[in-house]
Amino acid sequence: MNSAFTITPVEKGIMRCRHTASMSHEDVQALASFLYDYDGKLLVDLTEADPQECAKNLANFRPMMPTTAIFGADIDPAVLEIPDSYYVKDVRHFKTEDEALAWLREQ
Amino acid sequence: MSTEQALNTFVKETGGWVASQLEACTRCGMCADACHFYQATGKPEYSPVWKFEPLRRAYEQRFTFAGRLKLALGLDRPVSNDDLATWSEIDYTACTLCNRCSMVCPMGIDLGPIIHGVRSGVAAAGLVPADLADATQKQLDVGSPLGVDDDAWEARIEWISDDWEVDLPVDVQGTDTMVVFTSIELMKFPDNIAAIAKILNAAGEKWTLSSKGREVVNFGLFEGDMDKTRLFLQRLFDAAVELGVKHIMVTECGHAYEALRWTAPNIMDVPAGIDVTHIAGKMGEYLRTGRIKLKEGAFDTGTLTFHDACKIQRKGGHIKEPREILNVLAPNAFKEMTPNKEQGVCCGGGGGVISIADADVNRFEAFELKIDQMQHVGATDVAMVCSNCRLQFVDGVQHFGVNVKVHGLSHMVADALVVEEKTS
Repeated sequence: MNSAFTITPVEKGIMRCRHTASMSHEDVQALASFLYDYDGKLLVDLTEADPQECAKNLANFRPMMPTTAIFGADIDPAVLEIPDSYYVKDVRHFKTEDEALAWLREQ
Repeated sequence: MSTEQALNTFVKETGGWVASQLEACTRCGMCADACHFYQATGKPEYSPVWKFEPLRRAYEQRFTFAGRLKLALGLDRPVSNDDLATWSEIDYTACTLCNRCSMVCPMGIDLGPIIHGVRSGVAAAGLVPADLADATQKQLDVGSPLGVDDDAWEARIEWISDDWEVDLPVDVQGTDTMVVFTSIELMKFPDNIAAIAKILNAAGEKWTLSSKGREVVNFGLFEGDMDKTRLFLQRLFDAAVELGVKHIMVTECGHAYEALRWTAPNIMDVPAGIDVTHIAGKMGEYLRTGRIKLKEGAFDTGTLTFHDACKIQRKGGHIKEPREILNVLAPNAFKEMTPNKEQGVCCGGGGGVISIADADVNRFEAFELKIDQMQHVGATDVAMVCSNCRLQFVDGVQHFGVNVKVHGLSHMVADALVVEEKTS
């Protein structure tokens, strides 16, 4: 897996995406490729990520995200805003991993 | 809601051509077996012949002696508000206008356009399903049914250009071709945009995007509202004229191809000297003429099948080109589903159906037919040239937990491009 993010299983139907470093072009394409194929829910862990980098990547990947819970960094909710549409899945931000995971399990 | 407006639209739709089609129908019911919604659900009201019943009744009662007599004697009743509400559900959530029914009609009736006429009447009565109407309103207001405004479009194009390292020319005068993507490619499948750009650049195509004509999907056509259909088409033609191009290229979208290539010349003045092409046809042409070279066997593992899109293959005739490409990319792995080509079964998400939440049950039931077809050939991969189909396939395989990888054909072609080193 790439250095900028890691994908690891949490439990059946949920994968953790940990954003760890600045993303290269190859990282962006690899993450996009993962999102095309992944059919479960996503737990995004931003505890090791740069806030500015986070905001940029979240805004770019938001339309492609499956049902997702994000935690680990203070992010501007505006970066997750997207016009409601039939292809858009629910993506929410939480303060803690426990809260994020609890919500994700209910989805 | 106005039943009168719906009836007037039905009457307006009922020209000589439609009248001859209605008179020719013997109600044999063969169209039912061609309809994926009828096949999947077994509901008789989803039979194609029933889908145009209000228009047939309006025609009979207005234009035929027998119809007027039956009405006068109370043996028939006029189309009511309740009828229109019922047919709103039937014709918007259980019909993709795929027109497979027309392929089996022994009388040669072209059922799709007649059912589309019913949508027009229902739309005139203000009974378009809310989700579809909302998407159409977004296309009117901001230029995209997904709500992508000018700023979001520019930001997305810049992101794709940067991170996929591909040249995406915008508003360049003096090119040959204006390429128009769908919002679903822009938002959900950005790889498609990068892939198509790489193919066009490799083929030496002189092309540009337009910031004014930036949405190829036409939700007016889905609604059946021909004023909106014309308006959305006009935006594209105006952009093409302003850029001075000779061609408008539709990317991986089916209904947009129908709207631009066939609907437009029938409902409006189209600019002379601009033809409409589809990426599926162009990729085949590039390969045949040597403008692109592909790595043979680049996807020759597992079992790869191809889904024929209703408006690109059945209507558009681009049947050979994807197969020529797949026979290079996957000479051993490529296997046809049955039925295929012009008889191919619709994915279940076209015609705006995928945008209507209330249609989810129907579209997933219909998709089970595609699962059966894919499983019959043992498919591990499926390719297609329509992003709306692709979204339905992605949704469908996820919904049913089917282990099949879904590909846009352009993406596969771009990945297999052989770039020859230039020698000085």
